[in-house]
Amino acid sequence: MLISGLFVGMALGFVMQRGRFCVTGAFRDVWITRNTRWLTAFLVVVAVQSVGIFALDAAGVISLNSGPFPWLATIVGGFIFGFAIILAGGCATGTYYRAGEGLVGSWLALITYALFAAVMKTGPLSGFNTSMRSVTVEQSNFYSVLNVSPWIFVALLVVGVTLAVRHHLNKPRFKLAAPPASKTGLAHLLFEKPWNAFATAVVIGLIAIAAWPLSWATGREAGLGITTPSSNAVNYLVTGDPELVDWGVLLVAGILVGSYIAAKGSGEFRIRVPDAATVVKSLGGGALMGIGAALAGGCTIGNAMVETAQFSFQGWTALVFMILGTGAGARLTIMNRRSSSGSGPANVPARAAALS
Amino acid sequence: MAQVTLQTNGQVCPFPLVEAKDTMASLATGDELVINFDCTQATDAIPRWAAENNYPVTDFSKIGPAEWSITVRKA
Repeated sequence: MLISGLFVGMALGFVMQRGRFCVTGAFRDVWITRNTRWLTAFLVVVAVQSVGIFALDAAGVISLNSGPFPWLATIVGGFIFGFAIILAGGCATGTYYRAGEGLVGSWLALITYALFAAVMKTGPLSGFNTSMRSVTVEQSNFYSVLNVSPWIFVALLVVGVTLAVRHHLNKPRFKLAAPPASKTGLAHLLFEKPWNAFATAVVIGLIAIAAWPLSWATGREAGLGITTPSSNAVNYLVTGDPELVDWGVLLVAGILVGSYIAAKGSGEFRIRVPDAATVVKSLGGGALMGIGAALAGGCTIGNAMVETAQFSFQGWTALVFMILGTGAGARLTIMNRRSSSGSGPANVPARAAALS
Repeated sequence: MAQVTLQTNGQVCPFPLVEAKDTMASLATGDELVINFDCTQATDAIPRWAAENNYPVTDFSKIGPAEWSITVRKA
């Protein structure tokens, strides 16, 4: 049964790579271009998953329960993680699937992310992590505090997300340019055609639902998760303890395999070595991602996509502070770089060759 | 009409688009900007930016594995 983790990971890596599904981009666009198209797609994943998991919960296949809410660590960790994914050029899953595309910068970010997640969870910083996470309040989710059915929140989320999707679909349709097709039929659809953001989000939502009962069946009572599995993978590599290789470890390994297959199949794989500045940012960003995700109790997937679907305070608080963190990161790196490098004709000759 | 080539290979998202916007701002109407890039996400972001600004895309081709070139006219 453990092997199902590998297949779910492969499906996830494949769909994310082909759909260009980037949570970092979704959060960043809110600040840089004031565009909420990808954030809406992200919330589609949450809404689809929410319907599925509360149905599974009602059917008794899984049982959802949230523990106390570690508010301090969630706020601090969420903000650090949001800031870090700008430096690393991708969140946890983004970094995994870009690693599968051959981006060496993402390989480096992945290594320090997994390493620092382990340092925080089981290594020398575990005491700090535990004490930060011990600052809690008892109330753990929206519906238990209000003592109402979770379905009220599921309905509110579905209606809200549907309205947001409609807003984006009602915008004038653009005919997006694409390179000329060289494949036909299924190969064109799977390995060439640009995928619609919302369709991609629905598929990711369905994969996220499937993760629950499949993981549950192996004794890992959770849905999609990236940080703890990454930390477990590091611990396995240094201890050799096979007990550590659970469904989650196979899931993250599967993301690498799936995105490699997608990238290779569509001619989008190439080993790309970054410049020195990007190497430093990737290493630092990865380390901060590990620290932030461990504190917050999850990354953009575990917290912002899975805990939110359960309406836990941890999930929604982490989501808000991750978005704020990406705003701070974007202001410092992207917008700052823009003004320091200057815009306008002066900087063009340096980087571009003018032809006439 | 001038044609300017912007080389963004090696840069990851969002920088190819950030640089494209900056360079585009310095061009005159009717000029063309050729953007070479190898960031996969830019295959979505750059054509979308062109469409939203009503810039015609006169060429978009895949040059090799994870390598693209797109030509956008300032209109």
